[in-house]
Amino acid sequence: MMLEQGQTSIIGIAELPPTLDPGGRTTLDLLAEAAAQAIQDAGLHKSDIDGLLVAPPSEDSYFLWPSQVAEYLQLAPVFMNMVELGGASAAATVARAALLVDAGICKNCLCLSGGVWDSQVFNTRAGKLAVMSQAEIDYELPYGPMGFNSGYALIARRHMYEYGTTPEQMAKIAVDQRTNALANPKALFNQRALTVKDVLDSPVIVDPLHLLEIVRPCSGAAAAIVSRSDHGAHTAHDPIAVCGFGEAYTHNSIVYAPSLTVSPIKMAAERAFQMAGVKVSDIDLVSLYDCYTITVLISLEDIGFCRKGEGGKFIEDTDLTYKGSLPCNTHGGQLSCGQASFAGGMSHVIEAVHQLRGEAGSRQVKNNRLALVNGNGGVMSTQCCLILGRK
Amino acid sequence: MSDYKQIYYDKMAAVHLWLQYCPTCHVFIFYPRERCPYCLQADLEWKPVSGKGILYSYTIVYVSALPEFKDKTPYIYALIELEEGLRMPSNLIDCPLEEVHVGMPVKLTHIEKEGKTLPVFKPGDAKAVIR
Repeated sequence: MMLEQGQTSIIGIAELPPTLDPGGRTTLDLLAEAAAQAIQDAGLHKSDIDGLLVAPPSEDSYFLWPSQVAEYLQLAPVFMNMVELGGASAAATVARAALLVDAGICKNCLCLSGGVWDSQVFNTRAGKLAVMSQAEIDYELPYGPMGFNSGYALIARRHMYEYGTTPEQMAKIAVDQRTNALANPKALFNQRALTVKDVLDSPVIVDPLHLLEIVRPCSGAAAAIVSRSDHGAHTAHDPIAVCGFGEAYTHNSIVYAPSLTVSPIKMAAERAFQMAGVKVSDIDLVSLYDCYTITVLISLEDIGFCRKGEGGKFIEDTDLTYKGSLPCNTHGGQLSCGQASFAGGMSHVIEAVHQLRGEAGSRQVKNNRLALVNGNGGVMSTQCCLILGRK
Repeated sequence: MSDYKQIYYDKMAAVHLWLQYCPTCHVFIFYPRERCPYCLQADLEWKPVSGKGILYSYTIVYVSALPEFKDKTPYIYALIELEEGLRMPSNLIDCPLEEVHVGMPVKLTHIEKEGKTLPVFKPGDAKAVIR
C-alpha cells in the first residue's frame, strides 16, 4: 500500500503550551482553542473541515467523544472517529487522516488531542485502576505495580541485563532533551540545564528509573490538519507530506510482550520505511515518544539507528540535541515539555512539522528534509511510526 | 469453564500453582480465561506447574501510589519466567535488595492477601533451569 506520493500533507498545526494549571478550563475548551489555531495556521475556514479524528479525553466521559467534540466545535464532518492507542493515538490520528484524505473521503481532516490533568485523580488508587485492564487488576495489581512506571522499569532492567546498558547512558537522553528544551519557550521545564549527575541524583521512583527519567503529566492540547496538497492551493505554509506510516501492536501489559527489549516499533518502522520508499539513513531528525528515557533508547535501536543492544553506546556517542548529528526530540520531548495527556504524543508531530517548515527558531536543525515521528502507547504496546517530509 | 478465576484461587489456596494448559497447542496459559489465545478453543485443562523459574526482570518500587503498598516500600515487583516457558507477574520476597538480579533462580511460595492465597516467589536453588 502506498500513499500517493506528496499529495497527502499536514497543512496546519497548533499546540497550546503545556501547563500544570489549566485555570479551570475543560478538555473541550483546550481542544477548541487548538482547533481554532490550527485552522488559522492552515489558512482554512472552519467550514472546510470535513473530517474529525480525536484522541480520547483524559478525564471526561469517553462516551460518544467524537460527537461531544463535534458538538462543541459545531462541525458536521463526513467522517469522524476516536482513535484509542494510548500514547500512539495522536500519531495514529495523523496516519488515519492521511488514509481518509488519500482515499478521497475527506478533504481536510482535523486531528485533535489533549486533556486536563487532575493531580487529585492521577496519583490515587482509582487513578491507577482507570488505566488498567481487568487482567491487570486481577493478576498484577495485587503485587503492587506502579502502572506504566513499573512496566518501563522492567524493560530498562532487562535491557541492562542483556546488553550492559548503564544508568548514565539512559540519563543522557534526558540531558540532551533538556538542552533542546532550553531553546523552547513553551517547554514546562526549560529553566536550567541538566547533567547526567542531576538525573541520577534525582529520587529513584521505580528502580532503575529516576524521577527525571519519567514524564510529568500536565494539561494541554494540540491539533493537526491533514489535507490533499492539490486541493487547498492557498496554504499559508509549505505543506508537509505524510510520506508513509507503519503501525504494529503486540501486547497490552508488558507481562505478555513477546520480548521486553525488542519492541513492535521495529515492525512499525519497517512498514513506514517501505511505504515511504526511504531508509533509515535518509532520516534527518527524529521525534520519538519519550514517556521514559528507556523508551527513546529502545526506539532508536528498533528503528535501526544502531544495532539491538548498542543503544546505550550510541546515545553516549551521539549528540541528540538540535546541534547534533541525530537531532532527537528537539522541542525537549515530553520529558522536558510535560506530557499534556494524549497531546503529548502530538507534540512530536508538531515539532517535526516546525523543523521541516524551517520555523523552529533557535533550535532549528540544518538538515530538515525528512523526519521520523513515533507514537508509543501502553508499555511499548502500540506503535505508530510516521515519516514526514518537506517537498 | 467460566469459573476459571475461582479455580485458580482454589488451587492456590491448597498451596500450589495450577495453570491452564492447551492440549492442542501444548502450551501453558497465563492469565486464566475461557479460551486458548492461540487456537481459540475452549478446552483448556488445569495442570500443576513446578513452581520453579527465573527472575526475568524486576523493579524495586520505592514510591507507590497504592495505599496498601505505601508502607511496604521498597519492594520487588517481579516478572517471573516459569520453567514451563511462560511469564507471570509476582513479587520476589525474602530476598535482600542487594542480592536481587535478573536471571536468578526463584521458587514458588505464597502469601495471604484480602482473603486470597497469592503465588509469590523467593530465591530458589542455583541449579534450577536458567535460560
